[in-house]
Amino acid sequence: MAGPLVTLEDVDFAYDERPVLRRITFALRAGEFVGIVGPNGSGKSTLVDLIDGIHQPVAGEVLVKGVPTRRYRRKDMAREVALVPQHFDLDFDLDVREVVEMGAYCRGKDPSAHGDPEGTLARLGVADLASRRFSELSGGEKQLVVLAQALMQRAPLLLLDEPASALDVSHQLRLFDLLKELNADGLTVLCILHDLNLALHYFDKLLVLSDGEVAAFGPPDEVLRPEILDAVYGVRAYLHRHAGRTYLTFSPRLRGERRGRVHLVCGGGTGAGMMRELADAGYEVTAGVLNALDTDEETGRELGLSMAVEAPFSPVGDEAHAENLELMRAADLVVVSAVPIGHGNARNVEAARQALKAGTPVWVDEGLRANDFAGVVDGLADDGARFFAGEEALLAGVLARSPSGDTT
Amino acid sequence: MTRPARTGTVPGILLAAGVLAVCLALGLALGPVSLSLSQLWHLVTAGPVQGDLQSAIFWEIRMPRVLVSALVGAALAVAGVILQDLFLNPLTDPYVTGVSSGAALGATIGIVLHFANLSVTTVLAIAGGLGTLVIVWMAARRRGRIDVFVLLLAGVTISYLASALVTVLMIKANEDMTAIIYWLMGSFSGRGWPDVRVALVTIPFMIAPLFFTREMDILLQGEKRALELGVEVERTKRLLLVTAGVLTALAVSVSGIIAFVGLVVPHVVRLLMGPGHRGMLPVSLLAGASLMVLADLLSRTVIAPNEIPVGVVTTFIGAPLFVYLLRRGRRA
Repeated sequence: MAGPLVTLEDVDFAYDERPVLRRITFALRAGEFVGIVGPNGSGKSTLVDLIDGIHQPVAGEVLVKGVPTRRYRRKDMAREVALVPQHFDLDFDLDVREVVEMGAYCRGKDPSAHGDPEGTLARLGVADLASRRFSELSGGEKQLVVLAQALMQRAPLLLLDEPASALDVSHQLRLFDLLKELNADGLTVLCILHDLNLALHYFDKLLVLSDGEVAAFGPPDEVLRPEILDAVYGVRAYLHRHAGRTYLTFSPRLRGERRGRVHLVCGGGTGAGMMRELADAGYEVTAGVLNALDTDEETGRELGLSMAVEAPFSPVGDEAHAENLELMRAADLVVVSAVPIGHGNARNVEAARQALKAGTPVWVDEGLRANDFAGVVDGLADDGARFFAGEEALLAGVLARSPSGDTT
Repeated sequence: MTRPARTGTVPGILLAAGVLAVCLALGLALGPVSLSLSQLWHLVTAGPVQGDLQSAIFWEIRMPRVLVSALVGAALAVAGVILQDLFLNPLTDPYVTGVSSGAALGATIGIVLHFANLSVTTVLAIAGGLGTLVIVWMAARRRGRIDVFVLLLAGVTISYLASALVTVLMIKANEDMTAIIYWLMGSFSGRGWPDVRVALVTIPFMIAPLFFTREMDILLQGEKRALELGVEVERTKRLLLVTAGVLTALAVSVSGIIAFVGLVVPHVVRLLMGPGHRGMLPVSLLAGASLMVLADLLSRTVIAPNEIPVGVVTTFIGAPLFVYLLRRGRRA
């Protein structure tokens, strides 16, 4: 087929007077596997309903196979576009077979024009459900039955509105694997979903909707960038690489001013949790000296922290040390984690002592005493460092210290 | 897994037709003058015979009465199925649309104005019922769509209004009060061939929905899902609502307001046949006819020569049955 399967040209839509979608323009080609993401109320479901011709745009055109949706009779539309709705329930006690069979309504009475319900259920790996009552099924089974109903339409385009929201993780993965398979067989898929990590892994392209407008449209790694996610969802997103895949994690956006600046002396993963907790709590976090590729260094990099970094497996050199001192001078508080201290990183404790002398408070994890292989903790204690027991105590102490973001 | 076995579509329809045949035979045979099966057969095959009293009673009194009750019962059951499933509300019956109250108002006006010709009262009842349907329809129309929930609310509201007007008329015309009360309670007493002719008009309106059973099945999933699956929802809804309204108006105009048939029959049949309309709708039609013929038989024989209004009989049958069904759980 020459043209796109679905085209939206400058589409506006409003419920009564309330605008829902604005200037939506995008095209979906046959065979594509596209996800729609966006915050609640951003117009995702409405967009899907527009493509299915349930609603008509206030301005612009929605074309399916080049023909405006308003020109379709419902039966013809159902042959082109199948939709798996977000909410589906049935108070009436129909057999699963009857429910699935309803999907073939648009195909008329000719039984050769559509697949049999059993075969469709078997395709989804749930052939045994056919003779059950719909009301007896679990949420995940119901979802698959509705998908089977939609597949009975044998439409080239499948729209799904949050099909995974009621499913546990195993059913979620099974559903998306299935959609991938169907896509490989030629079905074009446009699927609303909330889980951005699933979106990142499964989809060829993502459409990001924000407040009724297209915020981005393209390959997932181009579209799910922290700055876009911050603008769209109002959260801070971090990309992590793990076991050959990229994952997103999120922190709430900060309210108001930053609370102050905390410098962490850590390493070997003893500081990663503190980094995230303090950053989420609104502190500007710095760290050092860390060896490159150290767990804490990687975490700090993913969180975008300023750090004093030394080459991998090397003792702290002069340059990194000087940088570390610089960062400590700018900090309101220096925290030393329970990092094993040996000769390679003893200079970090030395730097902390200097900070103490310069008047910056230094808090030290109790656990450090057990990991002090260079004999430097006592010096810290003598200079007036305060000790705390674990991450939670640290966070409570830090928050108590500046309850309203007052950094003085 | 314990669940009641369901009857298949064809066996179910055959069984219901058999039950109706038995009920019709009983209704025609029993009464102040009871007939044996052979007498019944003879009377039916011979047709009306001039000057024969038994033939006259059979053809002029019993036959039209049984036919009217069967048609009214069938019409109310079909209207009940349509409205319950269109409103997705198990407590709906043909009277919630306000059509019956409008018809009652029309009939009351006819009685109060003392039209010698009873068929004028019937026509007024039909006019009242259909007029109410139009008002409720217009109230529920928004941008070319019918909102069934607004329709339900408007129907209930109009019902109250019409009932209030009926009450006012009853007080104003107290000498007619008994006639009005009897009419309101519903009865087939004295129904003749002119009433049969009115009731026969229901037949095409009972047949029409049989062609929309697939659409009705799909509409059980809600209007939006039906649109998605390719059903012309507004067109189907319009057709079904008008059908149910006309059936109700015609039924009420010849029989008065007979309770519970339109409510209970669809429930019982759904329980036995499952909610699929291909079987449930024709079986409801036949079962509604059977129940009404049986109820009318009881109404005229239990305390003969006096009659219990048939609406009282259906309520006595329907109320306990309905409570039982409700206790079995909402899902029928």
